[in-house]
Amino acid sequence: MKNHKEEEIWIGGKDLGSDPEFLKTAGNEFTDTPLYETMGEATESESYKTDRRDFLKYLGFGLGAATVASCDIPVKKALPYVVKPDTIVPGIPNYYASSYVNGGDFCSVLVKTREGRPIKIEGNSLSSVSMGGTSARAQAYVLSLYDTNRFKGPIARDGEKGFAASTWDAIDAAVKSNLNGNSRIAIISNSILSPTTKKAIARFKSSFPNTKHVSYDPVSSSAMLLANEATFGSKVIPDYRFDKANVIVSFGADFLGTWISPIEYARQYAKNRVIKDVDNASMSKHVQIENGMSLTGSNADNRILVKPSQQGAAIAALCNLLGGSGSGPSLPKEIMDSLRVLADELKGARGKALVVSNSNNVSEQILVNKINDVLGSYGNTISFAHPSMQRQGIDSDMNDLIADMNAGRIDAVMVYGANPAYDFPGSSFADAFAKVDFKLSFAQSNDETTALCDYVAPDHHGLESWGDAEPKLGHCHLIQPTINPLFNTRQAQTSLLTWAGEKLDYYDYLKSNWTQNILGGGSWDKALHDGFHNSGASYSAGAFSANVGNALSNVSKPNSSDLEINFYETVHMGNGQFANNPWLMEMPDPVTRTSWGNILHVPVKFNGVRKFIGFNDLEDGDTVTLTVNGVAQTAVVVQQFGQMPGTVSLSLGYGREVGGKSAVGYGTNVNPWLTTDANGLTQYYATDVAVSGKTGEDDDFASVQYHHTMGVKDVNTAGEEVVADELATGTLVKGFEGSLTNRSIIRRTHIADVKEFVHHLHEERHHFEHLNEQTLYPYDEYKEDLYDQGHHWGMHVDLNACIGCGACTVACIAENNVPIVGKHEVHRHHEMTWLRIDRYFYGDADNPNTVYQPMMCQHCDNAPCENVCPVNATNHSSEGLNQMAYNRCVGTRYCANNCPYKVRRFNWLDYTTADLWPSNEPELTKSDELPFGADNLTRMVLNPDVTVRSRGVIEKCSFCTQRIQSGKLVAKKEGRRLEDRDVRTACQTACPTGAITFGDTNNKKGQLSKKLRSPLNYVVLEEVNTRSSVNYSAKLINKIEKLDA
Amino acid sequence: MSGAPISPIRQPLVTGSKTYHQITEDLCGPTEKAPSKAWVIAFLISVAFLSLGIACILWTIWKGIGSWNLNRTIGWGWDITNFVWWIGIGHAGTLISAILLLFRQKWRTGVNRAAEAMTIFAVLCAALFPGIHVGRMWVVYFFFPYPNTRGPLWPNFNSPLLWDLFAISTYFTISLLFWYTGLVPDFATVRDRAKGFRRKLYNLLSFGWTGSAKHWQRWESLSLVLAGIATPLVLSVHTIVSFDFATSVIPGWHTTIFPPYFVAGAIFSGFAMVQTLMLITRKVLNLQDYITLEHIESMNKVILLTGTIVGVAYLTELFIAWYSGYVYEQFAFFNRAFGPYWWAYFGMMSCNLLIPQVFWWKKYRRSIVITFAMSIFVNIGMWFERFVIIATTLARDYLPSSWSWYVPTFVEVGIFLGTLGIFFTLYLIFTRVAPVVAIAEIKHILKSSGDQYASGHAEKHRTGQSLVVEDHHH
Repeated sequence: MKNHKEEEIWIGGKDLGSDPEFLKTAGNEFTDTPLYETMGEATESESYKTDRRDFLKYLGFGLGAATVASCDIPVKKALPYVVKPDTIVPGIPNYYASSYVNGGDFCSVLVKTREGRPIKIEGNSLSSVSMGGTSARAQAYVLSLYDTNRFKGPIARDGEKGFAASTWDAIDAAVKSNLNGNSRIAIISNSILSPTTKKAIARFKSSFPNTKHVSYDPVSSSAMLLANEATFGSKVIPDYRFDKANVIVSFGADFLGTWISPIEYARQYAKNRVIKDVDNASMSKHVQIENGMSLTGSNADNRILVKPSQQGAAIAALCNLLGGSGSGPSLPKEIMDSLRVLADELKGARGKALVVSNSNNVSEQILVNKINDVLGSYGNTISFAHPSMQRQGIDSDMNDLIADMNAGRIDAVMVYGANPAYDFPGSSFADAFAKVDFKLSFAQSNDETTALCDYVAPDHHGLESWGDAEPKLGHCHLIQPTINPLFNTRQAQTSLLTWAGEKLDYYDYLKSNWTQNILGGGSWDKALHDGFHNSGASYSAGAFSANVGNALSNVSKPNSSDLEINFYETVHMGNGQFANNPWLMEMPDPVTRTSWGNILHVPVKFNGVRKFIGFNDLEDGDTVTLTVNGVAQTAVVVQQFGQMPGTVSLSLGYGREVGGKSAVGYGTNVNPWLTTDANGLTQYYATDVAVSGKTGEDDDFASVQYHHTMGVKDVNTAGEEVVADELATGTLVKGFEGSLTNRSIIRRTHIADVKEFVHHLHEERHHFEHLNEQTLYPYDEYKEDLYDQGHHWGMHVDLNACIGCGACTVACIAENNVPIVGKHEVHRHHEMTWLRIDRYFYGDADNPNTVYQPMMCQHCDNAPCENVCPVNATNHSSEGLNQMAYNRCVGTRYCANNCPYKVRRFNWLDYTTADLWPSNEPELTKSDELPFGADNLTRMVLNPDVTVRSRGVIEKCSFCTQRIQSGKLVAKKEGRRLEDRDVRTACQTACPTGAITFGDTNNKKGQLSKKLRSPLNYVVLEEVNTRSSVNYSAKLINKIEKLDA
Repeated sequence: MSGAPISPIRQPLVTGSKTYHQITEDLCGPTEKAPSKAWVIAFLISVAFLSLGIACILWTIWKGIGSWNLNRTIGWGWDITNFVWWIGIGHAGTLISAILLLFRQKWRTGVNRAAEAMTIFAVLCAALFPGIHVGRMWVVYFFFPYPNTRGPLWPNFNSPLLWDLFAISTYFTISLLFWYTGLVPDFATVRDRAKGFRRKLYNLLSFGWTGSAKHWQRWESLSLVLAGIATPLVLSVHTIVSFDFATSVIPGWHTTIFPPYFVAGAIFSGFAMVQTLMLITRKVLNLQDYITLEHIESMNKVILLTGTIVGVAYLTELFIAWYSGYVYEQFAFFNRAFGPYWWAYFGMMSCNLLIPQVFWWKKYRRSIVITFAMSIFVNIGMWFERFVIIATTLARDYLPSSWSWYVPTFVEVGIFLGTLGIFFTLYLIFTRVAPVVAIAEIKHILKSSGDQYASGHAEKHRTGQSLVVEDHHH
């Protein structure tokens, strides 16, 4: 019993002995010697060697086992909550009031979360700024939370190898060691709407007194700020009221799409465009003065075509015509004639007129102010009480900073929410930036500027952050987190405060700032619930005073160049900030109907016989060499109706070089072409332009609409007025007139003719009704039994309210898990959108008017798709819904063929990876990566109430059947009749102008029933007898006929 | 020569003054000899196409219908074009075997066997397309009205696609039975000449046929019954196929003229394909005595008739479109003729309506070269017709916003070539395993339509022959 204590536990005889071999191994629980070696004498025995037969056995077993194991469908487990959070009921969404902010872009929103995941953005109808409206960008905001390109944590430059993962402590230490109280620091940002962020920056400045904050806007409104400073003594952008204006004149300002506060303006604008009473129909007049067809221009009653370089002269001329004294540069006679007519219109609308301009020339903006002053707009359609804060940047500040950086006067730069290396005009930024020793970015994902930095301290996504925004003075909105940070990120404000020595939670900092400075005794909880607090802060500007004569002589001078180009911002892409967002990349531009890249718009001309000829004989999808100011790049062309001859247009925001897979490699970067004027302000046009002939073709030219017109008129070679596009439908010979205009798709008229129009419309509808009654199965008989009881869902779309902004299309994608298919697939017309906005041009072929028509499943009560489906996969509900049973769908596509509205979408490939065969995935992106939205992170955005469709089935608009179902349940639980507010479709809630109304047609008191009584209503393709459930109300315009004379 | 059993104005249908034994020798021969070099080469080419087709089909199943260039506007393209084309081709066989049998057209005997085989192979090729063109072919069994635990959930009996399923499956079954019934006595003939395994095989295939009078009587009855069943199918199958289009609401599809127009077109294309095949077969297998110029001319007459019917239908469509005052219809037909796919329309018009008019001249009806060229033209023209109806119509329908354009991918073309491969592979195998011309039926008409029995013809055609024509006068 030596070497052994009695109390120890022994297992076998060897434990009791003291065999040194045994003692050596006794402590090792896991031995690393092979099993056979511990088996004594068998060590070298043949029986433990693998012979050929054994090898084959193992091989056989291994292969068999692997095969059997791999036959299993991988099971993804969903685990229930162990302890359920109080506020989360599985299956019931929670809504949090918050705000969408991106630079100067603002929208007050409700964030819908399911089981703790934000999945949808809704408008906040309480907000006094966005008033429940949203934009495509706001709708797509939720996807950017799940962007796979986001930084997973802080990173730091690691020699030449690029970035390496770092820690927050290391970043903090690096800041401490590199910066001190004397460091000359610059913080670069876009306009900051957040008062608390500004306070945090001020706090940072107090610790680092040599800090300056430079803000600029990717699409600049500096001239407006400076002009208002010059004329009113206040560097702000006033509050425009488009609803109060009877005559709206815009010099290039895309106020419905991108200019300052488009959601707000669109809502105001539509108020005065919708016809409330047909007998006393009235609407505002809207004249757009521009060269390319902008979203706003496409909604205008008249467009006066001026070249970009003539715009200043046109403003000056209008100013003079309205009683200004002095002389501006001369303009061609036809433009002057138009401006004279316009001046008369404006004079007649004194006090109810509004003139705006996107010009970034201070003198021109001073003249616009002068015009508004002469017209009595200030105090009526323009107010300084709650000025907009949405554009604050002054371009020249950035130029000064670049000069400072070049001169070595800047030690450190922090880039917050901006990407100047990409979107700051010209190419001077990057070189200057390289001369700074310490460069830090707060970017959430990699971009051109961040790639040049030394440290990245990634900010939270807005949906993970606390914050606030004051888009208009006194209108303070809150941002609250709706999910825990997904990655190891830290709020930028927290970073700044930490480096300034504050050890504060940013929530506390925000709340104390609000309590002290904003709430004024109001309730924090109420502000958080509503999403905003109107502090009542207001502002009063001085009286107008300006040296008009000086301004008149300083407007930009018309150029005699044969070809000019303007650069513009699109409603979805901004200046590239949204390029990582595939929802926005795939959203077709409302005007060109192209996606995945910017397209050079070239003018198109009727040849007088039967063809439209593009500038330089270019056709859609051709590539050209575009040379601007001597620098050549390749661009893809589209023939654009309404593009002024002698001009071309190309949008900002594409051609990103650093970014995610949806950002890089699409389109042409125009920012290097931008130049500044004498005051250092960016000019969004150029006069030194050359467009080559066709150099090739874009193989993946992604356009969702190939035919653009519905009856545009022009003169033929004999000088007679003909409907040119109808003639152009023939390839071999001329088409016949009436082939497009006699279709019952778009109904439109001039407001002056509305009574005759209504009479004619009703006659025609009566005729259709008569035709449709010639059937063995009279609709009215079965309708009474089937659809007059219970619910019968229907929709109304007001074409006069629809501005084509596309918010509804993105909302539909978000709500219904509509797949994103990529450029190549869009090129093949495989886009999956359930809701699209058809755009047609009509009127004068050279300067047409536009109508937008949201087109979704019409839920026909006599649906052509239903009776042709061999397996009953699509059928009609007792509530009038045309339903799709995806599980039952075999995929014959017969229904899609037989749909007159062409709204059915087929899953051509495995767009969602809902399939067992993964082989078709890479095709979508032409790389080895997954399709857009197929990775687990992005899938977090999926709406759990909507099935993700697999390959090979048809899908289409369901009238948001999941919302109908949950609305019905709510009403049932509360024991009451279902009301309008219970069920609102995603497109309806997204619309900033209220163009879409959804409801129960059997609810005679409902909003829909009221809209359905409008005499302007019609049904698309009524004579096909589909018994559509969607009514459209006709498009009216208030065109100033004299302008075209 | 008076009292001859054959009308003096009829041409003989069997030339070469054949004896029964010679007929047996001539027609069984190809199944007994080693294949010729030409056959082997043709077979290898066919199998190569077939393999290409299978590869493309597997690719389609693996990748999805997205490997084709169909799109949101044009949901059917080459797939359904090929489907209708093949179904149409099948029709000649049924017409020859059923309707011509009932009408006692003796010239059918020379071509009915091959035409029926062609029907079956064409229907097989056709039936492939509805199967593979769907998005989820692994659930195509949903089409069938079988008892199930889903309610039960039945297919939609209102859908023309379901009618198609029944029409085509019935058609295939009846055609197969008809063809096989005809083959039974011939298989027995082959059996009687064979030895060893072949004998056993053909014994099985011939169902123990002994040639007793009872057998012949039952065989005749069954043939007539099947002909009776098959006759309405000639009209109904393509009528129902045309319903796929005619019952829709798409202008250019929604046309009441479609059923007769499709049936005429089907027979038209079917006879063209019979001509293509028979002209080659009679040459390669040396069957000029059984498939004579008389047969060819008869079929050319059918081609002329049906082609003209189809042409009238084309013109009627245009007239009705104009007369309807319905702009969608007017545009649909304008677009067919003069829109971006005008070349397909003109291909169709010239191949189907204009070019067959040469058959008004007897010289051309009896010209092998012209007939062969024509048969190819007609096959191309009828393919274009289906393409025009399907793809061109869909490309530009009601909403101009959704107008589109369609060119097939390599995969779609590959599948079409693959069906040609399947068709010819099966046909080539058929020529090796079964008598290409119905032996029993030829023997049946020998004494009424053999040239040695026809007045005047024997001398005219067969003067140098050593065969002594006995039994000249009854």
